[in-house]
Amino acid sequence: MSTIVSRLRAIAFAVAAGLVVASCGFNTIPTLEETAKAQWAEVENQYQRRADLIPNLVETVQGYAKQEKDVLTAVTEARAKATSIHVDAADLTDPEKVKQMQDAQNTLSGALGRLLSVSENYPELKSNQNFLALQAQLEGTENRIAVARKDYIGAVQAYNIELRTFPGVIWASTFFRGAKPMAEFTATQGAEATPKVKF
Amino acid sequence: MFARPLRVFAAALLLALVVALIGLPASAAPDLPALTGRVVDNAHILSATKRADLEGKLADLEAKSGIQLVVATVPSIGGQAIEPYANALFRAWRLGEAKNNNGVLFLVAPNQHRMRIEVGYGLEGTLTDATSKLIIANAVAPRFKAGDFDGGVGRAVDDIITVLTTDSANWRKSPDLRGHQGSSKGILPPFFVFLIVLAPIVVIVTVFAVLFIVAWRRGGLGSGWVVSTGAGGGFRSSRESSSGDSGGFSGGGGSSGGGGASGDW
Repeated sequence: MSTIVSRLRAIAFAVAAGLVVASCGFNTIPTLEETAKAQWAEVENQYQRRADLIPNLVETVQGYAKQEKDVLTAVTEARAKATSIHVDAADLTDPEKVKQMQDAQNTLSGALGRLLSVSENYPELKSNQNFLALQAQLEGTENRIAVARKDYIGAVQAYNIELRTFPGVIWASTFFRGAKPMAEFTATQGAEATPKVKF
Repeated sequence: MFARPLRVFAAALLLALVVALIGLPASAAPDLPALTGRVVDNAHILSATKRADLEGKLADLEAKSGIQLVVATVPSIGGQAIEPYANALFRAWRLGEAKNNNGVLFLVAPNQHRMRIEVGYGLEGTLTDATSKLIIANAVAPRFKAGDFDGGVGRAVDDIITVLTTDSANWRKSPDLRGHQGSSKGILPPFFVFLIVLAPIVVIVTVFAVLFIVAWRRGGLGSGWVVSTGAGGGFRSSRESSSGDSGGFSGGGGSSGGGGASGDW
């Protein structure tokens, strides 16, 4: 009888100890890290979606506004550069890499903005159904990028705060020494907005 | 022989819990309207008959397809663009089923002359950005321009329902494609975070209750135990009260990643 009780008690202790560790935030750091990485994948996903729309857009604009060669070339080049830079989830702790990627995407945003504002000068292009659909998709994608970036920033903040506050800081300095703060986007949403072009 | 260290441990645990709960940031309450029904006409631009008509259609849509389409009119969007406002509102209301993310929000801000169709993750493939834009530009904007809000909102709802239900093979498939992604990628809503924090606590309390019974049978009962189990009961009831928002219409836990289109008139 008493051996059963003491054995039960030992099991209960083991379970309780495990749960106490779990409830004290041992799992929080890996969980938040994975969340932030997943959010980053969504950011990349949406940037890729935008890049996929561009060849079609360039082709459509070309049909009506061949003389806007500079603008079209700028978009194509910016797209090539932007799609060549990928930041793996493991590199998110490197602010320099994140910044490079962000700069390339911002350049592309600027080139796209110029292309769309140039398009305003071509009434036939503006009323082309294909162009209108592409424009709507592009707008939608820009908005998804904004949402994905916001979500990523939120996830990174939660993760970084966990690394620096109690009780996360205990685990960060013992079991998860490899866990480093992740880089946030530095530019504000304003930098993403399409720039106004003066002629 | 175990009673004393256990009691100390329980007290420490309680203290840690209290500290953790105090430390929880009060979730910032943005200035968003409450989800009072399928048509939230806070800007008062719809007639009573139209509102009733719309509510019938929207309830019918959800009964048939599980899709939650909500119409909202707001007097102000807090000085920001309509896109982030619509997304925040969609996520606060959690439209659509949690698994399928099949919600749609049609938001009208008459004072800003802006409107938006915000589409949940699961319906992005059916109600695309381009389609949403077409509905806004062709069906709604001309009517709004003429001051016919009843007609414009009515057409928007009719067109959205048509798009969502015509190709049923398509909309039945697409929510599943995005469903898993959406639910695993979205940031957990505060309530779930609360639950995750709470679940281990409840289990621990249960374990302590078992220990308590074992100890009690052996006659080693101390007053500290009563405090520990009492606190457990308190936490559990607070969880119940925070989930007790049923009664009437409510969101199903869906989310949106900013799909859809905006327009003005």
